[in-house]
Amino acid sequence: MTKRFCVSLTYAKNDTDKATVAFVIANASVASDKESIVFLSSEGVRLAQKGYADDIHEQGFAPLRELMANFVKAGGKIYVCSPCFKKRGLDENKLVEGAVVVGGAKLVEFLSENAASVSY
Amino acid sequence: MTPRAEWDAGDMGCGELILELRQKMLELQPGEYFLLIARDPGAPEDLPAWCRMTGNRLVSADHPQYLIEKRRDR
Repeated sequence: MTKRFCVSLTYAKNDTDKATVAFVIANASVASDKESIVFLSSEGVRLAQKGYADDIHEQGFAPLRELMANFVKAGGKIYVCSPCFKKRGLDENKLVEGAVVVGGAKLVEFLSENAASVSY
Repeated sequence: MTPRAEWDAGDMGCGELILELRQKMLELQPGEYFLLIARDPGAPEDLPAWCRMTGNRLVSADHPQYLIEKRRDR
């Protein structure tokens, strides 16, 4: 059984349902002793900005800010697509805890070493 | 088989449930028992899977009650 798990997320406030479910699954991954990452790309990178997710709270789920914080607290990492981040003029000095801006090589390395992945 | 701790998770499910469960079980010593009450409809499939992945032992499952023995080697 693979020990690494990636959740790929390309949505933010343009689909708060998908953004929320992605982090719920990421929480399931990190809770299951998997080395876990959430890879944010396209619009998803906005979630890496401090404060952005504060008002996202889907019915029936914990607030997204809480889901993200719990994921990181449990050892999960948030990879943020560098070109997507730059394209949107976001601020790398205002990243949420656990987020790191990465290029494609970092994702490819992670996925190539026997990782499973799911995309939202 | 007296549980060292128990938790009524109510309707919580999926990743939220098992992440919280993991946190609570960190407080147990290896081999101690934890009684979980989880009413989420996904729990009967999720909790055995979680136990298989984490090495904890599902002693009994009678939805919504799940008795889990913390793995003995950590």
